[in-house]
Amino acid sequence: MITQYFDTSIKKWRQLFVGMGVLLIALFALNISLGSVAIPLSSVIDFILLRPPVDNSWHLIMAKFRLPKALTAILVGGGLGICGLQMQTLFRNPMAGPFILGISSGSGLGVALVIFLGVEAGLLFELSGIARSWIMVCAAALGSFGVLLAIILASVRLKDSVTLLILGLMLGAASSALISVLQYFSQATNIQAYMMWSFGSLGSLSWNELMIFSVIIIIGMIMSIGLSKSLNALLLGASYAESMGVDLKIIRLLIIINTSILAGTITAFCGPIAFFGLAMPHIARMLFNTTNHLLLTPLIILIGGILMLLFDTVSQLPGIEATLPINAVTALLGAPFVVYLLLRKRNIHYTFDK
Amino acid sequence: MKLIHTQSLAIGYTEGRSNKVLQENINLSLSSGEIISLMGQNGVGKTTFIKTLSGLHKGISGSVYHQDRLIDEISKSSLARQISVVLTEKPFAAHLSVIELIALGRHPYSNWLGRLSTSDKQAIDLAISQTNIDYLASKKLYQLSDGQFQKVMIARALAQETDLIILDEPTAHLDLSNKIEIMLLLKSIAGNGKGVLIATHDLQVSLQLSDRLWLFNFNRPILEGCPEDLILQGAIDQTLFPINNNIDLTTGTVKHLDERKGNVLLQGDPTIVHWTAQALQRNGYAVNKDTPTSTTINCLDCLWRLESKDTSTSFDSIENLLIHLK
Repeated sequence: MITQYFDTSIKKWRQLFVGMGVLLIALFALNISLGSVAIPLSSVIDFILLRPPVDNSWHLIMAKFRLPKALTAILVGGGLGICGLQMQTLFRNPMAGPFILGISSGSGLGVALVIFLGVEAGLLFELSGIARSWIMVCAAALGSFGVLLAIILASVRLKDSVTLLILGLMLGAASSALISVLQYFSQATNIQAYMMWSFGSLGSLSWNELMIFSVIIIIGMIMSIGLSKSLNALLLGASYAESMGVDLKIIRLLIIINTSILAGTITAFCGPIAFFGLAMPHIARMLFNTTNHLLLTPLIILIGGILMLLFDTVSQLPGIEATLPINAVTALLGAPFVVYLLLRKRNIHYTFDK
Repeated sequence: MKLIHTQSLAIGYTEGRSNKVLQENINLSLSSGEIISLMGQNGVGKTTFIKTLSGLHKGISGSVYHQDRLIDEISKSSLARQISVVLTEKPFAAHLSVIELIALGRHPYSNWLGRLSTSDKQAIDLAISQTNIDYLASKKLYQLSDGQFQKVMIARALAQETDLIILDEPTAHLDLSNKIEIMLLLKSIAGNGKGVLIATHDLQVSLQLSDRLWLFNFNRPILEGCPEDLILQGAIDQTLFPINNNIDLTTGTVKHLDERKGNVLLQGDPTIVHWTAQALQRNGYAVNKDTPTSTTINCLDCLWRLESKDTSTSFDSIENLLIHLK
């Protein structure tokens, strides 16, 4: 009976994964073809299959801007989604997200320090154009890894996950306060530069940056697939997980390191993309009707990439020069989607209340 | 075979820098095939003891041995193949299906991707058939009643294939028939050669089904032994009912001391006499079944005839009889 149950479910899941993969590729092509200059899909397919280009300017646009942006979108979407999932399971709290431990505030502080205190920082920002200056990336990375280090040191000392959560909130609040103080004493142009950073952007990575970015994110994704089995055990609570052989201290540390590296790297390269990581696990759980992390983690990597590509396509406003900030688009389109799913499902059964 | 034993173990927890000791000098052992109930009032340290035995909590001093190996020296993953637990915590995800939850019991055996081998599936199958929950397998946790949920959690522990299962209040919040069903299930699990330890407040059921009792007291040594011996020694009385509430311990029923309304002789069908007697006692009558008194009630087939002196009245229900007597 059990074998039969598992066999039918494996077949069902395999079909779903194939379907999602096809959808991801389709959206990937669509994302590359749409933008301020519309490129016909046939050229996009030629480009992806490495066939000789029909139009050199199209080829240049795709190679220099659209392809790195589409790849970044896929990695950012999947990466933020699994961070949210891991935080929600670790803290047993459906309101946790990738930045719950104060990581985005930490990198925000790093960037703010560079922009507001560095005299030429504003100028640097102007000069860098689409490819963000390495200084900004390093500042953001230093900020988020500073917070990460504090959280890891605390997690070795603290027994309780909720205490850790509160600590993260405090670190976030303190960083935000410092940013406010810096802003208060800054010139308008610098404040604007900081605001631009905080809108988030997927299109600012050069191929060099993308190389480093993708290596880190892919390692993080593989690590989170490896953590999925323990996350499943954690669904039953810390005591049950321990009784099933999960070494709580090590697993908790690994989850925090994994999330921090993913969220920290994404924030460093693309800015604080809020909301997405919080909403993604809910969307995946509601769409696919499962809480099994061994399925949810790869599914979220796929659907996170799909949705981020979709949001990015929308943010380019096909046919128009302007681009909407990605941070606004994710929440603007994501929130109604989550509300729709909630209303359709009525109850997502995080608790036993009927 | 001794599965687990403790040696001058002290349990409790650390509060700031000082230790709060709940029980000390614990020397107990549990063998395979045995079902033991751990009883005591709230706050006496039952859950702490259970967690200490299963390696989830550190003891203050002394030691716990699992099959003659010190529990601190056994790695978490091999301990998970020797002891499984059923706790009072509910899972974070009510959306999990029953079969996925039971499959989690295979955590110590499956590979890093949680892939289930044939032997894993067989263990899950066996756990489901032992607990008779085939009909629940594809349900989600939020669809289960409390009794069903408890059986599923026991199935998960069985799927873990350990020789010792420790349960914290497995029958709390359950109705009597579910309580008995769970206890009989645990009894049959012990019958298959596993050791079963239950922390419980259910006096009647555990007295009947446990091989031994461990009684935890406040500020007094732990008592242990066969349930019937402990009853006769008055140990259960001391442990569970330090304040006299007129409870008849041998049957677990409430004693009726208020018998000032008079004596009644009951005759007739034994079942009807039993329940009529309970109704009369509740209303302040002393009941006897042989000595003649001024009032006699004949219990016939659904007809109660009250005879006192010369009068004789009939009633068609106990309720009407009680109304008349008032």
